[in-house]
Amino acid sequence: CSSLGSLFGDKDDDLGPDLPADKLYNEGVFLLNEKGSPKEAVKKFEEVDRQHPYSDWARKSLLMTAYSYYETQQYEDAIGAAKRYVSMHPGSPDVAYAQYLIGASYYDQIPDVTRDQTRTERAIQSLEEVIRKYPTSEYAAQARKKIEVGRDHLAAKEMTVARYYMEKKNFIGAINRFKVVVTQYQTTRHVEEALMRLTECYMMLGIVAEAQTAAAVLGHNFPDSPWYKDAYNLVRGGGLEPSENKGSWISRAFKKVGLG
Amino acid sequence: AVTVSVTPVLAQSASQIVVEGNRRVEADTIRSYFRVGPGERLDAAKIDEALKALYATGLFQDVRITPSGGRIVVSVVENQVLNRVAFEGNRKLKDEQISTEIQSKPRGTFSRALVQSDTQRIVEIYQRSGRYDVRVEPKVIELPNGRVDLVFEVDEGGKTGVAKIVFVGNKAFSDWRLKDVVKTGETNLLSWLKSNDIFDPDRVEVDRDLIRRFYLRSGYADVRVVSAISEYDPSRKGFIITFTIDEGDRYKFGNVDIQSTVRNIDVERLRARLKTKPGGIYNADAVEKSVEDLTIEVSKLGYPFASIRPRGDRDFNARLVNVVYVMEEGQRAYIERINIRGNTRTRDYVIRREFDIVEGDAYNRALVDRAERRIKNLNYFKNVRITNEPGSAPDRVVINVDVEEQATGEFSVSGGYSTADGFVGEVSVGERNLLGRGHVARASLTYGTRTRGFELSFVEPYLMGQRLALGVDVFGKETTSSSYYSYTSSTVGGSLKLGIPITDNFSIQPRYTAYRQEIKLDQAYNNCNNINPNSAAGYYPTPQFQGITDPATGQPFTFNCYQDGEASLAVRRELANGPVFVSSVGSTFSFNTLDNNKNPTNGLIVTLNEDFAGVGGDVNYSKTTLDTRLYNEILPDVVGSIRIQGGYATGWGGSDLRMLDHFQGGPNLVRGFQTAGWGPRDITPGTNQDALGGSMYWAVNLEVQTPLFFAPKDFGMKIAFFADAGQLSDYKGPTSWAERGLVMTCPNQAINTTNPMANVPCYGDENLVRSSVGVGLIWASPFGPLRFDLAYPITYADYDKKQIFRFGGGTKF
Amino acid sequence: CITQTYQRGYIVPEGALEQIPLGASQEQVLIVLGTPSTVATVSGEVFYYISQRAEQTSFLPQTEVDRRVIAVYFDRNKKVERLANYGIKDGRIFDFVSRSTPTTGQELNYVSYLFKALKWF
Repeated sequence: CSSLGSLFGDKDDDLGPDLPADKLYNEGVFLLNEKGSPKEAVKKFEEVDRQHPYSDWARKSLLMTAYSYYETQQYEDAIGAAKRYVSMHPGSPDVAYAQYLIGASYYDQIPDVTRDQTRTERAIQSLEEVIRKYPTSEYAAQARKKIEVGRDHLAAKEMTVARYYMEKKNFIGAINRFKVVVTQYQTTRHVEEALMRLTECYMMLGIVAEAQTAAAVLGHNFPDSPWYKDAYNLVRGGGLEPSENKGSWISRAFKKVGLG
Repeated sequence: AVTVSVTPVLAQSASQIVVEGNRRVEADTIRSYFRVGPGERLDAAKIDEALKALYATGLFQDVRITPSGGRIVVSVVENQVLNRVAFEGNRKLKDEQISTEIQSKPRGTFSRALVQSDTQRIVEIYQRSGRYDVRVEPKVIELPNGRVDLVFEVDEGGKTGVAKIVFVGNKAFSDWRLKDVVKTGETNLLSWLKSNDIFDPDRVEVDRDLIRRFYLRSGYADVRVVSAISEYDPSRKGFIITFTIDEGDRYKFGNVDIQSTVRNIDVERLRARLKTKPGGIYNADAVEKSVEDLTIEVSKLGYPFASIRPRGDRDFNARLVNVVYVMEEGQRAYIERINIRGNTRTRDYVIRREFDIVEGDAYNRALVDRAERRIKNLNYFKNVRITNEPGSAPDRVVINVDVEEQATGEFSVSGGYSTADGFVGEVSVGERNLLGRGHVARASLTYGTRTRGFELSFVEPYLMGQRLALGVDVFGKETTSSSYYSYTSSTVGGSLKLGIPITDNFSIQPRYTAYRQEIKLDQAYNNCNNINPNSAAGYYPTPQFQGITDPATGQPFTFNCYQDGEASLAVRRELANGPVFVSSVGSTFSFNTLDNNKNPTNGLIVTLNEDFAGVGGDVNYSKTTLDTRLYNEILPDVVGSIRIQGGYATGWGGSDLRMLDHFQGGPNLVRGFQTAGWGPRDITPGTNQDALGGSMYWAVNLEVQTPLFFAPKDFGMKIAFFADAGQLSDYKGPTSWAERGLVMTCPNQAINTTNPMANVPCYGDENLVRSSVGVGLIWASPFGPLRFDLAYPITYADYDKKQIFRFGGGTKF
Repeated sequence: CITQTYQRGYIVPEGALEQIPLGASQEQVLIVLGTPSTVATVSGEVFYYISQRAEQTSFLPQTEVDRRVIAVYFDRNKKVERLANYGIKDGRIFDFVSRSTPTTGQELNYVSYLFKALKWF
């Protein structure tokens, strides 16, 4: 059946005959790297994918499309293209990078801690996928670093809400949120402050034993942290030495991680 | 047609999987779906699982797995690749609007099932926008090397609106009133502006419930909306919707009681909280509101788990509903966590602070509902949904708040014309949720024939975390001289306001305002001087003293200062004082029980303003004004309103009230007069006869508004009959000016022409009650609210300036 | 002005404490008092039930007027060993440290905000 371009009559079709795939692909790469105009490059790569859907060039250009979208901060499109790559070419050598691109696209959109963290969670999920599926790829290390920052961010969110409740003297909300940080986010920087805040909350309540334990665990694991100095002065101010009760859930939580 | 055949297979290791028929998808990609490690056995379960996975990718039309000679052959037929997806015949909906809603995408895979569901999807989109006889035809065009073009041919058909809404069985309320209750509108001349007249079956269902709740609010406890039938009437190219209502009888509240099985709750104290009073008209909303208030009150007394259920039993022949609020010990549950999700712009605490209860508190349904209402009132979100999940223990609840943000920025250009201010245009940019912190900011620029100005305002609704609003304003306004005022006055200043809500409808707004006011007068209106007139200096005597010799020419004056017009000496003395800086503290006390602030039908609003100037600054005065408005729906849809206004101003600390600080009598007090059109006035013959104003006033306005029954409902036209009366008296400003030898005189007063200051000051100050009656037309036009008034003054002073016709209105787009 | 009192946190049910003799089991405590506000284990386990009463006059901030923390101490085999009751007087009064751990993430600043806002029109 003859080409029905005239029937539609829109500009898209009068590109003339299909250009060879590699020529189009190289034009795209040239536009992307030398000319530095990812938007044009994406057009070229999409052309390759459209005209030569069965060639290996199509696979490569799909990956480059995702990368170009990522470069121009069009994260939704980058994720779309990368996901298509992963589902179409799970066996290809570059699939680790495609998966990493998905995670990185979410990662770059992480808002500040006072706002919705769904993007952070999605970033962590897709980056964990990179580590689980392609542990040996060079992207696994970068993914681990980004996950660490992502988790730190989720911990920071817990901390802001906990501080909000602490200022309003709603100790139950505050203590339970600080406990979430101490038990689930031990490897983040916020755990030190969380322990100090617990000391403050327990002192405010007058439950000195708990305050002592929190301060002691803080001192034991982070002896030179400024938070420990605050906790120490606070507990000392109450005229009591911070002594750690081994049985306390805090020390037990840390034993699990081998820090305690 | 998808054929699947899996025959029992010998255990084979992965390497013997042969792939046939694949062109776009690589062989090892297909093998990877078989999830078989090297040397692992490949049993039927694994094959079945692989088959499902392969189909899930959506890449294949057909997959066949057959063993042959010890190896497994997987023969696939790939879905073709979609080259282009195009739409034809779509005028109302653009290509992008449709393509985002369907699954077939260019360069995606082509599958018949997908095309079918897309076609259905397009029909749905059209129905949602009101076009019901739309037809969608998908056309598939084969292209070389396995590519395919897909074209959706759309025949949109005519727009099906709502031709007529009919109510059957409504005796208590007119069709007119019920059309106001339902959301669906009738198609008429203005329909191209509105969208609510498009036929939408779900909206008809919503209307059915709206009618039912409306009746329940007005005493009809047995109401049943029997049916809501919509038939398409081809002759009128629209639907006829018929609501059949069985109203039943109108009930009143019988006795209202509270029964509590919760020990030591003081039932008497709670009775005051009830909104349902015996003898009052039955109102379902009032019952619901009472339940909520009771729950909140009881939880404050320490019984948050008490659950309250209203039980109404009808006394049919006496037409009474006896309501009993039953209070029982509810299930003890505490809030474990409050998760806030979807807030991509608003900060977490802006939403969290709307909750009265916090994590760890007892779960209380009423307080959660109140929080949901408050979050909705923030007007930052398209929709707000609060749902509960079981927590980590049986008596723990997790509350999830899901919000969907909406644009809270506003950019509006509005224009208006009123006989008082002429044409006025305003451009304003505002943001209700600045930086997601819940702050409100607005900047506006106004420009008109008589006024020019700007205003910047910022509001923090939660000062230091308390429900205390702090408002900061900076403003500048210049009103040029006109037939109403002969001087140009420009004020630049700022104010700091605190909004303190005391109860739901009583609030106090203390404020500090500081501004610099300057008036300008063109020279022609300011050249009278009887003490040392000198034409070279531009000063001329008043007509009575024109005979004295002009030091510059040695001849008597040929020109007197009234000939080129002259402002009142009171204005000119103000001008001589130069610009003044006013610094005042004050407060507004407002009590508001209106049922609807835009167009109230019932309720009372009282606003008391007190301003005390003299906290620094050059001007000392105290100004108190009161404005009370009472609305009542005397007949269905007919709203009567009484407005009583009053004001008193006085200087203090030895300085008397400046002329500019006097109250001016205008249409805001008694209609039928110009701005500053009535009240004490300098009527010295030959001068501009400026209004002087008074230091004390009262005014009463009676008005009845009724819809124009004959005009179609959607025109939103109302007619108003009103009567006003008011009095403005006690002008305390200057009446003579010794330095210039000027005294205010009345028309037929004998003027002493030898010594100007010997005349007795006289100005128009008939202590007379002005009154007027009139009729007004109010039109809630799609362009904006418009009002035309014809007012005939009955009692007035002859020097008052009347204005029979008044028109005001504006539009925002 | 009108002052409102609020019950915060745990609500002690009537006569509940009498039903927890020393040596009672942990399940018994859970049935009578319900899940504790927060759990802390010192040598065995401790259940804390925190309840507060706060007062608020119209717009002034809520002030804590009374606080009770019921602490239920358990011995090694989870039997009630000791009951303690901390009132508001046991609490120490001091100011919280105002510092907080710095965080990352795209801070919404004016420029990007305006750009986003304009895009929405």
